[in-house]
Amino acid sequence: MDAAFNPLQLHGRHFLVTGASSGIGRSTALLLYRLGARLSVVDRDEQGLASLCAELSPELREADPLVPHIADLSDTAAIEGLVARCVAANGLLHGVVHCAGIQAIAPVRTLKIDGWRKILAVNTEAALMLGKSMSSKKVYAGENGSIVFISSVMGMVGSVGAVAYSMSKAALDGMARSLSLELAPRRIRVNCVAPGYVRTPLFEQTETLWDDATKKAVEDLHPLGFGQPEDVANAVAFLAADTGRWITGSVLVVDGGYLAR
Amino acid sequence: MPQQTELPGYVLITGASSGIGREMAISLSAHYRLILNGRDAERLQATQAACRSPERQLCWVRDLADVGTLSETLPPFLEQNGATVTGFVHCAAMLDVLPLRSITIGHAQDVMNTNALAAMEITRLLMRKNVNHKALKSIVFISSIASQFGAKGFTAYCASKAALDGLMKALAVELGPEVRVNSVLPGGVRTPMTQAMFDDPVTAERLTKDYPLGVGLPSDITSAVAFLMSEQARWITGHQMVVDGGRSANISA
Repeated sequence: MDAAFNPLQLHGRHFLVTGASSGIGRSTALLLYRLGARLSVVDRDEQGLASLCAELSPELREADPLVPHIADLSDTAAIEGLVARCVAANGLLHGVVHCAGIQAIAPVRTLKIDGWRKILAVNTEAALMLGKSMSSKKVYAGENGSIVFISSVMGMVGSVGAVAYSMSKAALDGMARSLSLELAPRRIRVNCVAPGYVRTPLFEQTETLWDDATKKAVEDLHPLGFGQPEDVANAVAFLAADTGRWITGSVLVVDGGYLAR
Repeated sequence: MPQQTELPGYVLITGASSGIGREMAISLSAHYRLILNGRDAERLQATQAACRSPERQLCWVRDLADVGTLSETLPPFLEQNGATVTGFVHCAAMLDVLPLRSITIGHAQDVMNTNALAAMEITRLLMRKNVNHKALKSIVFISSIASQFGAKGFTAYCASKAALDGLMKALAVELGPEVRVNSVLPGGVRTPMTQAMFDDPVTAERLTKDYPLGVGLPSDITSAVAFLMSEQARWITGHQMVVDGGRSANISA
């Protein structure tokens, strides 16, 4: 094997990354671009996307455009149109990584229907619509297809205040399993990555609710401590590249050992 | 006694004389020095010859079913070769498809010893300070989707793979953060161990139907192991990583 060959390389492939302005999405976009992919990056945060493009601008390759699209994915009816614009600008897609997600810690008695429906819309329905878009010949490049949904350990275990979030992630895992069977004949793989507590802006929202004792207690539940966005991005790259060619319908847990306890 | 930093680090691969273990060895030899373990000296040497820089690899011939005597052989082997083990990949496994009525306790114990208890015992030995000098960083067990699901004729095998995954999780919790421990759960991959299944036309046809992405290659498994052993997986521990072409997601299977 050639020492320079990187098994995670993505040359010649077009990926759509949602939630690319920050956290796991940003880390994923940076890594996939550096592995050779051309990207469509989507977020509702215009400044965040601009800063991502600025960060990559010294490394931009002419053959691999990085195209930003501002969109609020809670408008799930608009997703097929968004994907069509991504394809028009940067060519047919080899894959999608859905990192966009919202969280709202709240006791169930305060839950409002509009609030949890929005969580479900961004976390789960948007993923479904992105998957549906990939099933079209006008969207999919026809080979090396890989869809990755960022799920969460909260889809598999419970936590006080996380009812709607847990629901959205458990639904995401189940949806991905059936989607993987539907898209297998077209050689599009579908997998979830389930992170544990990773240091991102979304996590920091949760952390503000904890005192120091609670923070330490939660960290102690992780044999390897809290994670970094890069830890999740690495797992996404593994699934996106040929290294994951026989993996579909799975949930890859990246959680520092949290679920093993 | 030499200091730990002066000793070369190796990855120990059990079951290296054939199938997934052999592929694993050939593939990982591009990045790591290896200790190859198997029962058959000739086939083990053939694996060694197929590796990158064969002269840098070591062969440890040993039947792992004989779990009780591993403590008498592995530590001296490491000392004689001046070796420390930084990574351990357990690919050794016995699979005999037998109806329950044909299984003897002796056979079931051999299966459990080779598939699960040897993994525990080797880990225990590699965690002893005066044997391996705290060198161990990462462990991967080759389990199976059979650890999660049953199949006719697989009682001892399923039991042993479930035991292996239970062991993996306990080790991940106990040995973390210094050592990461994970399992890879392959679906049906064509190897000498599984050849009988693939040779039977009825089984072979069902396998093709049941697997959304078709049957797997040993390289699919080695890719997953290489990832788990790497820095890119530094926050992954206690995980059962399914690599099975979508088989376990398939209700129609």
